[in-house]
Amino acid sequence: MRRLPHPANWPLTVAVPLLVAGLMAAVASGVSWIVLARLEEDQGAYLRQLAATHLDGLAVALQPHLIRQDVWEAFDVLDRTSRRDGGIAARFAAARFALVTLPDGSVLAASDPLAFPVGAPLPAVLRPRLEAPDELVIDEPGRLAWSRRRVEAGGVPLGTVLVEMDIGGLLDVRRHALTTLVAINAGLTLTLAALGYALVRRLLRPIRVLDAYVERIRTGRVEPIPARFIAGEGSEFGRLFRRFNAMAEALAEREALAARLAAEEKLALLGRLASGMAHEVNNPLGGMLMALDTLKHHGDDPGIRSQSAGLVERGLKGIGAVVRAALLAYKEAPGVIGLTPEDLDDVRHLALHDIQRRRLRLVWKNDLPGWVGVDGAAVRQMALNLLLNASRASPVGGEVRLEANVGDDGHLRLTVRDQGPGLPAEMADVLRAKGGAVSPGARGLGLWTIARLLEWAGGSVEIAGEPEGGTAITLVLPVVEDAALERRPQDAAA
Amino acid sequence: MPARTQAPCIARERGWNRRRVLGSLCAAGASLAAPPVRAQTMFRFGLTPVFLDSDARLLGALERHLTARLTQPVALVQRRTYQEITTLLLAGQLDAAWICGFPFVQYRDQLSLVAVPVYHGRPLYQSYLIANARETATDVEGLRGGVHAFSDPDSNSGFLVTRYELAMRRETPASFFRRFFFTYGHRNVVRAVASGLAQSGSVDGYVWEVMAEVEPELVANTRVVRRSEWLGFPPVACLTAREDAPALRAFGAALTSMRDHPDGCEVLDMLRLDGFQTAPRTLFNPITAMHDFVRTHA
Repeated sequence: MRRLPHPANWPLTVAVPLLVAGLMAAVASGVSWIVLARLEEDQGAYLRQLAATHLDGLAVALQPHLIRQDVWEAFDVLDRTSRRDGGIAARFAAARFALVTLPDGSVLAASDPLAFPVGAPLPAVLRPRLEAPDELVIDEPGRLAWSRRRVEAGGVPLGTVLVEMDIGGLLDVRRHALTTLVAINAGLTLTLAALGYALVRRLLRPIRVLDAYVERIRTGRVEPIPARFIAGEGSEFGRLFRRFNAMAEALAEREALAARLAAEEKLALLGRLASGMAHEVNNPLGGMLMALDTLKHHGDDPGIRSQSAGLVERGLKGIGAVVRAALLAYKEAPGVIGLTPEDLDDVRHLALHDIQRRRLRLVWKNDLPGWVGVDGAAVRQMALNLLLNASRASPVGGEVRLEANVGDDGHLRLTVRDQGPGLPAEMADVLRAKGGAVSPGARGLGLWTIARLLEWAGGSVEIAGEPEGGTAITLVLPVVEDAALERRPQDAAA
Repeated sequence: MPARTQAPCIARERGWNRRRVLGSLCAAGASLAAPPVRAQTMFRFGLTPVFLDSDARLLGALERHLTARLTQPVALVQRRTYQEITTLLLAGQLDAAWICGFPFVQYRDQLSLVAVPVYHGRPLYQSYLIANARETATDVEGLRGGVHAFSDPDSNSGFLVTRYELAMRRETPASFFRRFFFTYGHRNVVRAVASGLAQSGSVDGYVWEVMAEVEPELVANTRVVRRSEWLGFPPVACLTAREDAPALRAFGAALTSMRDHPDGCEVLDMLRLDGFQTAPRTLFNPITAMHDFVRTHA
């Protein structure tokens, strides 16, 4: 069973009609109470007056017979009075019986002689009515009232007239008034609550429209509120709707602009990718051409032939790896690519052409413990790019070092050192900014590729100047224990 | 009093209406020709509460009938008690009065009979001792210790008969009943007994019978415990000294010829009487005997 929400959270369409109904009920109760109290008061006064009039007549008529204690005449008066059609008065408070007693408390005569025999003492239940200080005693639960009047002659008490009245009629009038009041008030309350519900529902309709269109924005559909809704609303909601539409329009424009920018960015990225790919393909190309040249001149030597063919094969494999890496990277190919020490050693062959061309000494310190849970393709490409950059930066005959190991902190550390004049600041920025870097221009394309790959791999970069000159760039990459490599972020795929 | 006029009387009444118009015209002519009649020439007829009620229609018909039969206007005089009417009659302030048999025998040496009503073919009636229908009494003794309603201390059927019954038992109303009172009307006795105000009452049998016909609901609450012997019906009497006056003779004729005239017929039908007749004084001997017995044994 659902719990009822806190009243503060009730919808206005429920809360307002309930409030109206509650207020109406409170007002109606108050008014009904006042009306009934007033009615009761009036009825009491009416009954008092009615009884007084009745008793006045009886007392005057009975006095001479009381003096003579004339049973018949006293009875005749009571009997005729009780038989008289009381009209409206009798309907509201009909006399049930009237009797007249002598000062000794015995009954002289009664309109109902069988109940009150002549000369008998007044029944004990009625004796208090005779001695009541007030002339009128009302017993509401019993629907009865008694009024009494002492009859005297020259100060001498002659007797007392007692009338018992059935006030059921009066009480019925009061009950009828109560039911009428309750019925009318309930009807009014329900009607007002229904009206309140309809009114609040109508008043809140613009809010519901606004809510629906705001919800559409949240789900990515920016739509203005149609003119037919705006036309139906008054000044406040009309203004609100127009403002919403202006806002929605601005939002739509911004989104369109952003989409255009994204498209442009995509094209730019494609351009960079193409040039990066060309660069990556070009890198082993030199080595392979040299190997072919060597074959041409010294192909007879089986050792050299074998070595050169191996070089070409590795170069082609490298190109294949680059293409595969690009495909994997840019087509978001899923799967795990580990890195083995051999995979990394491949990079040496790819870079050897440039190294040798500049007569550099390559110090290769591959300390990988075996299979490492990183994106091997990415690491290879990054390593290759760093080596090529380092060989370009180093003076002829200089030294380039590569160190790779997995540290105690579980990260793969790949450091490439050169003896060049140092990494220009803007190139360092490209590296540090990772994928968010601005277009680097043709020169920094290798570093930009590194930056993007680094970001995808979730790694970081440390750039340090060497004490004896040169630069050391260290890539730090997290190693995942299992094979599940993190997926490349979506924006990088664009 | 919802007494119905009988069919034969309606036919006669129509004929009478024509004659009455002519008669009225003649009377009007006579009154124009002669000087206005003085008040002392008015015939004054006293009525006691032996009548069922002071019914205006009854009195109107009676007055019309008498006025038409007599040569002088008739005034109907009503009083609350028998005694008042009797006193007026004895004092000569009434020409005649419909009194009870009891006052007649009380003042028999001063009064003479003008006419006696005929009820069920005879100038006789009974006194009833009635009780409330709830009472179980089957005889007079069963009413001992109760509240008793008498009609009038000067009524034969409403007082003397019961008093005689009690005197025969060496009782008086005060010793026999716990309480008794006078209602000054036979109908009131029936009301008192029917309502339970009194357990028993002494009432004119003729009145009770007529009421049983006219007000059956009221009479149904009463029950006759004992019927007296047949006694002389309350008579119309006058002072013996005026017995032979022409007006009284004409008055007596008007009474005895009532059945022959529409208004008289209406009166008789309302009273459920056959008519009036002359009767000897001896008709009231039984009442005289009761009166004498009560007086000597009081």
